[in-house]
Amino acid sequence: MAEIVSLLGEELAFLTPNQDAGLLPINRYVMDLEELAKGDSPPAAMAGLKVVRVWLDQILDGPGRFTEKSIHNLHTWHAWMSSTLEAWEKGTPAPAWPAEWDEKRKSMVGPEPTQLFAEAGETAIRLNLPNDVELLSEFHSESLELLNDIEQGVLVLESNPADVVTINSIFRAFHTFKGGAGFLHLEALHGLAHDLESLLDAVRRAELYITSEIIDVILAGADVLKQFTREIGAQLQGINPGAPILVPTQQIVRRVRSLLRAERTLSEPAAIVAPETTDTRATDTRVTSARQAVESLATSSSRGLVKLDTTKLDNLVDIVGELVIAQSMVVHNPDVQNIKSLQLIRCLRQLSRITTDLQRNAISLRMVPMRAMFHKMRRLVRDLSVQQQKQVQLVLEGEETELDRNIVEKLSDPLVHMIRNAVDHGLERPADRVAAGKSDCGSIRLSASHQRGGIVIRIQDDGRGLDRERILATAVDRGLVKASANVTESEIFSLIFLPGFSTVEKITELSGRGVGMDVVRRNIESLRGKIEIRSLAGRGTTFSILLPLTLAIIEGLLVGVGNDRYIIPTLSVRESFKPQPGTVSAIREEGEVISVRGRQTPLLRLGRYLGTPSRAVNPEDGIIVVVESGDSARGLLVDELIGKQEVVIKSLGETFAKQNILAGGAVLGDGWVGLILDVDTLVKEPYHLSGGHFANSSTPL
Amino acid sequence: MNTSYKGKPIAQAGRYLTFTLGEESYGFPVLKVREIIRLCPITPVPRMPAYVKGVINLRGTVIPVFDLRAKLQFATTSYGERACIIVLQATLPSRETTLIGAIVDAVEEVVHLSAAEIEATPDFGGTPDTQCILGLATIKGGVKTLLNIEKIFLEDGFLPVASKTKPESSTQQE
Repeated sequence: MAEIVSLLGEELAFLTPNQDAGLLPINRYVMDLEELAKGDSPPAAMAGLKVVRVWLDQILDGPGRFTEKSIHNLHTWHAWMSSTLEAWEKGTPAPAWPAEWDEKRKSMVGPEPTQLFAEAGETAIRLNLPNDVELLSEFHSESLELLNDIEQGVLVLESNPADVVTINSIFRAFHTFKGGAGFLHLEALHGLAHDLESLLDAVRRAELYITSEIIDVILAGADVLKQFTREIGAQLQGINPGAPILVPTQQIVRRVRSLLRAERTLSEPAAIVAPETTDTRATDTRVTSARQAVESLATSSSRGLVKLDTTKLDNLVDIVGELVIAQSMVVHNPDVQNIKSLQLIRCLRQLSRITTDLQRNAISLRMVPMRAMFHKMRRLVRDLSVQQQKQVQLVLEGEETELDRNIVEKLSDPLVHMIRNAVDHGLERPADRVAAGKSDCGSIRLSASHQRGGIVIRIQDDGRGLDRERILATAVDRGLVKASANVTESEIFSLIFLPGFSTVEKITELSGRGVGMDVVRRNIESLRGKIEIRSLAGRGTTFSILLPLTLAIIEGLLVGVGNDRYIIPTLSVRESFKPQPGTVSAIREEGEVISVRGRQTPLLRLGRYLGTPSRAVNPEDGIIVVVESGDSARGLLVDELIGKQEVVIKSLGETFAKQNILAGGAVLGDGWVGLILDVDTLVKEPYHLSGGHFANSSTPL
Repeated sequence: MNTSYKGKPIAQAGRYLTFTLGEESYGFPVLKVREIIRLCPITPVPRMPAYVKGVINLRGTVIPVFDLRAKLQFATTSYGERACIIVLQATLPSRETTLIGAIVDAVEEVVHLSAAEIEATPDFGGTPDTQCILGLATIKGGVKTLLNIEKIFLEDGFLPVASKTKPESSTQQE
């Protein structure tokens, strides 16, 4: 964190009043800090980040320029933050929290006095958690859906401003949201939703026309509502329950009202004189007739959807998995196979068909299309392209591709990060693009497709591509790679996944490519996925993310070691082969390496490692399975390959929580439990013999 | 359910499932017993203490199985015909419960023990270790040792990471 704070300090030094230069880099650094602060950080840092976030949002949402005051504030903040971090690292007492930040944090950036006054009028929301918890959680999940609908709808309006169906659906969404908020006495939310609804109503009645200004207001409004909703969600999960939620709404309310007033000067001049409070009431009555129409619409358009607790789904998928195994045990039972009855054979065949169907259906219950997530990216690209003043066209492909919802949820952050990188750093500025003979509008293609038994998600930009020379030079500089080393292109590219890799080269346009890319890779690997990079200088970069279809089932390679069987996830297996005599060499009697396609790969005798007597004393008698995790690979010596099969992953339970060799268990076709090896551990284990294990085992890890 | 006696919990009156290990008789509180199943194929788990026999598939749930004789440091012999697995519900420090299987030589019966029949464990002066004993019960002329499930099987609620064979390398975590 300290590193990013010091980078931030450098940006601050260049700020000039009434200019926007530096705003976005600072915003990104603060976002990075916010991400980091979720982990290990001093408690005050989080609060400090909230303060600076409010300032930045006010600048971003408002004037878009720094003022002398805001620059001064940021400098004060930076000094405080650095000393807080320093104190935390050294264990000395943290610097005092500047008292002025508490009362004035709303007003510090605001340039005009009227705004100061209005901002003071923000009302905080307090949740009545113990009483309303069920209503609130229902409101929370429903609202997130509504707000997504709104966002999608607005993006449609952007290309087709006269789409009546979409206008109506956005209006309805705000209306439903307002109803829920009113019911729960969430006044600030209710008020904002009400104003936005009025705005949409004016559009519906053709009193206003969709302009980019209106679209911006609606998006900004939806964002504020979303922020509220997220806070509610956080409190429902027990984070700061009961704390007041304060999100600035006044500014947007003002924008909405000024738009509405502008409209009314045309149609209803009397309304301008009315104070704002009666103003809203006036709109209220006008909405009533529309509301009746909408309500009748809402009932007729309800679809046959059921909301389900996901644990019920998970249980169902688990039990069906068991059924499939039980069925195969019956079919393959030798006694049953001895029965010579056509009738029985027909029945068994019927049973297999039904169980397979059932399994496919059960698994499909958890699958959701990628559409919603992809559309979120459309919004992101729109915002980024405005911020960066780059023209970007986002092409979405395969948005109907379905993926386990658990995966989709966890994929969102990495995707946002990579798309942001692509716009920020991948695509050149329009002038540079034209100079390079490309169209001034950059293109990012986000696609999902089935491939290799899983899903491949590609993020492809037609920007400048990764600069392999510069990456390599940085890596050599930092001692990550020897200057003389013969590294392949893909190895060079994978260097950007190293933690904090590019923060060193902060001045070059490469910076940012690596900030957080290690997090991206870690997220994807936690989903048992892989990420690959292809890049052509001047032509663009393609990131391919290979993911399993579902987290509940993996394809595993069943291997035999001694009398035991283990499962290695196929996604981690690079290749397997029978070693030739002489390809294994010992290193100082401590470890062994095996030559795999001319490269020396550390060898791990799985039998010896796991404490099962192995039949293959000579490597030539066994099979080498090359597994990889991150950048490293290792050859595992096993006795035999038994087969490939799909298995339902089971947790080994709390009792085995301390070990890290096994990732889980799975019930095999014969009813036995097969153990799934944790490839990460196997690859990262030091490969020399060490006697330290017993000493380690006595202390809890 | 435990009351403190000289700083050590002792067993409460109630129903106990009694079983044998070799020549000796033991008991678990019935409330903790989920079911009794026949000995079935057990998948060994590598690098675990010797008393961890492995894991089994209990109708779709993977549960660990412990060899009670090995855990109490009895001489190991092969299991007889009457050997079975008692599935127990143990409470973790997080207050969640988890299922655990214990292999015993034979299950006897369910008995009701009154407070008068239970006495605190005498201090043997270190051997045998009485940490996992809740108390002794004298019924029908025999002594039954009442066991504390959590103390026996879980250290801090989790299995310790150890090894029955010399490991090839050390286990590392961040």
